[in-house]
Amino acid sequence: MHRLALLRPHPVLMAILTGLVFGALLLLLSGQNPLRAYAEMVRGALAPRNWNNTLVWAVPMIGMTLVAALPLRGGMVNLGGDGQLVIGGFVAAMAAIYLPLPGPLLAAVAILSAMLAAGLYAALAALGQTVLGIPMLISSLLLSYPAIGLTSWAAGFPLRDTATGLAQTLPVPEAARLPMLFGPVSTGVVLMALVAAVVVWADRRSVPGYELRMRGLNARFARYGGVPTARQTVTVMFLSGALAGLTGAIIVLGTHYRFINGALVSPGYTWSGLMAALLAGGEPLMAIAAGFFFAALQTGGFAMQREIQVPRVLSMVLQAIIILFVSLRNGRGAARKEDRS
Amino acid sequence: MQWELETTGLTKRYGRLVANDAVDLRVAAGEVHAVMGENGAGKSTLMSMLYGLTRPDEGAILLRGQQVRLASSLDAIARGLGMVHQAFKLFEDLTVWENVVYGAEPRRFGFLDRRSACTRVQELAQRHHLAVDVRARVRDLSVGIRQRVEILKALYRDARILILDEPTAVLTPQERDGLFAIIRALRADGRTILFVTHKLHEVMELTDSVTVLRQGRVSARMRTAETDADAIIRAMTGRSVNLSVARSPATPGAEILRVEALRVPAPVRGAKPLVDDISLSLRAGEIVGIAGVAGNGQSELIEAITGLRAAEGRIHLNGQEISGRSVAARRAAGMAYVPEDRALTGTAAGARATEALLMGRQHDPAFARHGVQDGAAIAAHARDLIQAHDIRITSERTRVGTLSGGNLQKVVLARELDFDAPLLIAEQPTRGVDVGAIEAIHARLVAERDRGHGVLLVSAELSEILGLSDRILVIYEGRLIAELPGAEATEQHLGLLMAGRTQEVAR
Ligand SMILES: Nc1ncnc2c1ncn2[C@@H]1O[C@H](COP(=O)(O)OP(=O)(O)O)[C@@H](O)[C@H]1O
Ligand SMILES: [Mg+2]
Repeated sequence: MHRLALLRPHPVLMAILTGLVFGALLLLLSGQNPLRAYAEMVRGALAPRNWNNTLVWAVPMIGMTLVAALPLRGGMVNLGGDGQLVIGGFVAAMAAIYLPLPGPLLAAVAILSAMLAAGLYAALAALGQTVLGIPMLISSLLLSYPAIGLTSWAAGFPLRDTATGLAQTLPVPEAARLPMLFGPVSTGVVLMALVAAVVVWADRRSVPGYELRMRGLNARFARYGGVPTARQTVTVMFLSGALAGLTGAIIVLGTHYRFINGALVSPGYTWSGLMAALLAGGEPLMAIAAGFFFAALQTGGFAMQREIQVPRVLSMVLQAIIILFVSLRNGRGAARKEDRS
Repeated sequence: MQWELETTGLTKRYGRLVANDAVDLRVAAGEVHAVMGENGAGKSTLMSMLYGLTRPDEGAILLRGQQVRLASSLDAIARGLGMVHQAFKLFEDLTVWENVVYGAEPRRFGFLDRRSACTRVQELAQRHHLAVDVRARVRDLSVGIRQRVEILKALYRDARILILDEPTAVLTPQERDGLFAIIRALRADGRTILFVTHKLHEVMELTDSVTVLRQGRVSARMRTAETDADAIIRAMTGRSVNLSVARSPATPGAEILRVEALRVPAPVRGAKPLVDDISLSLRAGEIVGIAGVAGNGQSELIEAITGLRAAEGRIHLNGQEISGRSVAARRAAGMAYVPEDRALTGTAAGARATEALLMGRQHDPAFARHGVQDGAAIAAHARDLIQAHDIRITSERTRVGTLSGGNLQKVVLARELDFDAPLLIAEQPTRGVDVGAIEAIHARLVAERDRGHGVLLVSAELSEILGLSDRILVIYEGRLIAELPGAEATEQHLGLLMAGRTQEVAR
C-alpha cells in the first residue's frame, strides 16, 4: 500500500496535467498548435522580462487567496470577497484623498482604515450567521452586492472626478501612493509578503491557528474542546475581510491611484483566489503557491493572446478544469470513506 | 463428517491488512455456532464472504460438501443462506409484511397478491413464535421487533442457515432473552445459526460450538459445553483477562455536581422533551452510573451538562453555577469528558496525536505563551501520554484517524484523565473496545474514584454499569425513573427498569 502511494502521482499534479491535456485538445479542435500556445504562456509568465507583470498580478491574487483560505481553514466560506475588496479600495481612496495627514502617515492610515472597514463589513456576514442563523455562504455573498453598488454609485456621481468623464474618484495625492520598487511593482508586494508570512506562521504556531485548524478538521471536536466557535467565526471573518481591504488598498494606492468603478472586481481575483484556496484545502502556504500559479496562468494567458492571438480565456478554462479534477478526487475520496464506516 | 457449512483457507486482504487469514470454519447442521472475536478480528468480513457480499481472495466455501461460488447475496439466498446485518436494512414507511416479501412477492396474474402475501407472513411469524404485528409500519417498531422482521425476511426466503452479525448489540436484556428463545426455536426446527458476538456470556448461554477469531485467524475451535470463559478469553486476546473489577466500597465526599430540573426541549414543537426535568447529584469519590437503552435522552443529558447543547435548569459544578456558561468555562471549573463518539466528537481524524492530545488545554501556560504555542512542550506532553497509556502509534505526529478504535479511545482517555478534573464524565467508555482494553479502562475509572474524583458513567452495557457503579440511575424516555444502590442491583431488575417497566419491578 505504501509503495503504491509513492508511485501514484500527486493528485494536484495529476489535475494540472489533466487540465493541460484538455486544454491541448481544445486548442487542437480550434486549429491551434497547443505546444506553441503553452510555450507562449510559460514565456509570458516566467521569462525574466515578464516577472514584473506576473508579480503585479500575483499580489492581489495572493491577497484574495488568503481571504478565502483563512475561513476555509476552519471549514467556513467567505463568498463576499468582492464586496470587501471594493470597500477596502474605496475607503483607502477616500482616506487618502480627504484626510489632512502628512505623507507616509497618510498611506498607513488609508491602508488601516481600509482594512478596518472591510473587516467590519465581513464580520457583519459572520454575525448574520451567529446571531440570525443565516448561513454565511449566503450572508457573505448577499452583502457583496450593496457594497459594489454603493461604491459604484459614489464613484459615478457624488465623488466622481469630473475632469475625466469616467466613473472614478479623484486621484490620490502623491504622498499617499505606495513607493515603487521596480517597473510597475510597488511596495505593496513587500506588504503582501509580510502579511502572507504572518498568516502562514499563525496557522502553524499560534493558539488561534491551532483552534481554527481543529475546527476545520472537525467542528464538533473543536466545540467539545472549548473552542468558542461563534466568536471565532466573527474574528476569522473580520480578519478575512481585513485582508480583502488590504488588497483593495494596495491596488488603489499602488497601481490605479484612484478608485475606478469595476476595476477591482472585473479581474475576478476573488473567485480565482477562492479556487486557489480550495485547491489547497485552505492550507495557507499551498494556497499561496496555488494563487501564484493562477497568477502566472493569467499573465501567461495575456502574453499568449498578444503574441499568437489565442484567446486568453484558455487560462480560465485550464483553471476551471484543474479545480474540477481536484475537487472530483476529494469528493470521491470522502464518499468512499463514508461507504466504509 | 459432512459439514452443513465449511470454509477452507478462506482469505481476504484489504491492502496490506489481512482481514481473514486462511480461515477454516466448520459448522454442523442444526447447531448454534458462535463466531467470536474482539473488534476488528474479522468476524463481519467472514460473514460478508459467506453471504456473497465480499469475494474471498483465496479459499473455498462449501455447503453440504459442495463447493459454491457466491457472486452476490442473491446467490447466497438461493442456496439457503440468510443474514441479519449489524445495521438493519428495512423500509421505514412500509409495513412489516411488505418489508418481508419485498423482492420476492407472491404474484397473481402478474400483480402483487396482497392478501396472500400478508397471510403467508402472518403464518410464518406464528410458526416460528415471532411475535410481530405484520400490518404495523416499521417506523413505529422498536429495535428488538425490527430485528424479528429481519429474521422473518430470511425465513420467508427459506434460509436454512441464518447468519446474525452482533444481533444483541442493540437490545435490552429482555429483548435479548426473546431473541435467544427465537434462536433456540429455529434450532429445534432444524436450522443452522451462525451467531456473531464479542460477548462471552452469550456464547456460554446460547451456543453449541464456537470458533474464535484473533487478528483474522482462527485461534480456537471448541464445543461450548466442553470449554469455559477463561479459555475463550485467552483464545480471543492471547491472555487471561480479569473481567470483574475489584474495588472497595465508595467513600463519598463533598458534592461535585448538582443538576436541578434540567430540561432539553424537543427539536420539534409539541414532542416530548429529550431531557425531562432531571435532577441528580454526584459526590467526590463515587461512581454514579446512568443506565438506559440508547436513545432515551442520556446523550442529550450529557451534552447539556457539558455545554454542547442548550438546556433549561441549573447545573452546579464544584460549587460554581455553570448553567449557561461556555464549554471552556465548564472545563475550567473542573470537568473532564470522555464522549460516546470518539471519532465524531472526541478527536478529529485529520489531527496529529500532538494536536488531539492538546485539545482543551491549548491556552494552558504550559503549552502556550501569549498565544504562541510551545511546540516542544506539546510534543513532550504527547509522548508522555502515549507512553503512560500505552497508545500504539507510530509517532506523536501521526494522524489519529489511522488508529484502531481501542487506541483512539486511549487517546481520548489519556487526554481527559490528564486534566485531573474533579468531575469525570465517561460516556460509553468501552464501546467497541477490545476485551483486554476494557479491563484497563475500568481500572482507570475506579482509580479516578479512589483519588476522590466523581465519575458520572453513562453506559448501555449492563455489565459495565453493574460492575462499576456505586449508585445507579435509570433513564427512560428522558426521565430518571429509578435510583438504586449499585450493590443491590441485578441485571434482571435493571433490564426491566431500562424497558420502563417500573410496576413489574415494584411487584
Ligand atoms: N472494506 C474494508 N476495507 C478495508 N479494511 C476493512 C474493510 N472491511 C474491514 N476492514 C478491516 O478488516 C478488519 C476486520 O474487520 P471486521 O471483519 O469488520 O471485524 P469485526 O467484525 O470482527 O469487528 C478490520 O481491521 C477492518 O478495519
Ligand atoms: Mg463486525
